[in-house]
Amino acid sequence: MSDTTILQASNLSKSFGSGASMVRAVNDVSLDIGQGEMVLIMGPSGSGKTTLLSMLGALLSPSSGQIIVDGEDISSMKAADLARLRARKIGFVFQSFNLLEALNVEDNILLPAQLAPSGTRGANRRLDQLLDELDLAPRRKALPRTLSGGEKQRVAIARALINRPQIILADEPTGNLDSHMGQEVMMILHDVARDQNCAVLMVTHDPRVEEIADRILWLEDGRLRNRKREPHNWVIDPVCGMRVDEWTATITTEYQQRKYVFCSTRCLQRFEAQPDKYAAEPTIGNLDTGP
Amino acid sequence: MFYWSLKTLLAEPMRLMVSALAVAVSFVLVIFFSAVFEGESDQMVVYLEQTQADVWVMQKGVSNMHMASSMLWDWKADFIAKNPQVSEVAAILYLNGPIKAGGKDWFSYIIGLRPEHRRVGPWAMAEGKSIPGPGEAVIPEVITRLTGIGIGGEITMIDRKLMVVGLSRESFSMASSVVFVSAVDLGDLLEASDQYSYVMVYAKPGVDPKDLARQIMQDIDKVNALSSDEFIASDWQLAAQMGAEIVRMMTLIGTLLSVVIVAFTAYSLIARKKRELAIAKALGFGNGQIYLAALFQTLVITVLGLLLAMLISFTILAWLPTVVPQINLAVRLHQFASIAIITLPIALLASLSFTVRNCDERYNHSTGQ
Repeated sequence: MSDTTILQASNLSKSFGSGASMVRAVNDVSLDIGQGEMVLIMGPSGSGKTTLLSMLGALLSPSSGQIIVDGEDISSMKAADLARLRARKIGFVFQSFNLLEALNVEDNILLPAQLAPSGTRGANRRLDQLLDELDLAPRRKALPRTLSGGEKQRVAIARALINRPQIILADEPTGNLDSHMGQEVMMILHDVARDQNCAVLMVTHDPRVEEIADRILWLEDGRLRNRKREPHNWVIDPVCGMRVDEWTATITTEYQQRKYVFCSTRCLQRFEAQPDKYAAEPTIGNLDTGP
Repeated sequence: MFYWSLKTLLAEPMRLMVSALAVAVSFVLVIFFSAVFEGESDQMVVYLEQTQADVWVMQKGVSNMHMASSMLWDWKADFIAKNPQVSEVAAILYLNGPIKAGGKDWFSYIIGLRPEHRRVGPWAMAEGKSIPGPGEAVIPEVITRLTGIGIGGEITMIDRKLMVVGLSRESFSMASSVVFVSAVDLGDLLEASDQYSYVMVYAKPGVDPKDLARQIMQDIDKVNALSSDEFIASDWQLAAQMGAEIVRMMTLIGTLLSVVIVAFTAYSLIARKKRELAIAKALGFGNGQIYLAALFQTLVITVLGLLLAMLISFTILAWLPTVVPQINLAVRLHQFASIAIITLPIALLASLSFTVRNCDERYNHSTGQ
């Protein structure tokens, strides 16, 4: 994680309606997100998480307050400049994937590249790289309707990454996925933050992500608050350190007569590639590292 | 975004065809009314055009043939013939009225011909004699097809029975057909055996018809002379003011209906893609690019609808008169151009209005968050 702040919000508020019917969705929120940092925004439904994310992504203008992205104050930017900023510096990942149904995997991923200075031609190498990294190469010509939920979300992540943005905003990216697929997607986003030095700001209800996040912001009634932690009964993935529910986990292996549980097949593959490295790690035990 | 627009349209070929067909059907409706208008208008002046006269001479104060009556002494035709700039004259007696055939009245231009004036008789014959003698008539073939009264059959002109001896082509119109009878019969009916209604003048080569018309009016008292172009324009205008005005009104209503259908089709097409437009906005596409994408889709649908309408019109509408012979349809390219010019901007505005409104909406409303 870098110390350089890439996204900064000061005294951010957003109200809808007016008079007696006015709703204050976000109320005086200030936050800083650094490069390579993975930050979760959690909170009950209707707490203003998506509204906050929309404002930080320059999709919704705040009623008051200031947002600075990569040193630029976007609060007073024109619509065209905001669109350019979104295209070049911010990648979005949505709960419902939001792929364009008529375009195949490749075209969906390349769509934002049209807005990059080098255009789609310059993005072809990046496309191949993302398709390989996200295991989408065999599906590059497939239409969204033929993809599984996990594949759709991986395409959405590839699309968010095609222009090498500095910030990824993810709104419930695992909300429409089963737990296995959800953990897979979480790991990808975790890797994005760690390996590409990209700030990942994620709205989620999924408590399993807490372990891999650098920070957790708790939003309630439009305000950031200190959150009371609730006790959970988790085991730890020996590769990524993510907590995994022992009873629902389906990806397991045995090594040296010990059972190991993983959040995703990616972690399993990494473990199998270097089992001694992960099995020997004394702090990352498995079944014996409960709450 | 253009690529997305095109792929989105092609991804649902059935929907694309249904939308284009809806647009095409509305266009065909307008084209049909317009084709009736044009066809009937053409047919109303067809006799005047087919005589190919250079100058028309008629009674003073008369400037058309439709719903008009004109009487000239026969010596005036002889006088015109002696003009050194005139190569030939042909004179007719004329009555604008109904003939009865098959128990039905057919409103007609009744032309009384003399045998020597063949040039101003029927220009296209289907069957029989072209110049009727006393007691005879040449009627449009379409009347025969509609009534069964053919060669040897009987029609009634005012109070006298005439035998059909010839069937002419291209001479039928719903508003006014052309029926040829003997000048003797018509002169007798009108008690004008030494008079003509109109004198058609054929000028010698190099003579300007307008100059000739002016000279005839100077030489002969109480006549009006018009060049053929002026006379046809005058007659067409009067005819258009009468029956064709109704068709023009129907065309206007059809056009308004078409505009509504095309605008609605464009609107619903874009409305269905509201979510995807919001996604594009979230990905960084500017409002201008999104508007252009929406406009491009509307343009494709409208142009496709127009092409389909042309295909339908040139096949079905051109074929229709062979099945329904009383209809005169004229399908022309300028009709398509007119409808495109009227409807396309409305369709583009409809799609744009929706897009502009929705580009300012919160993304989470549109993207299902």
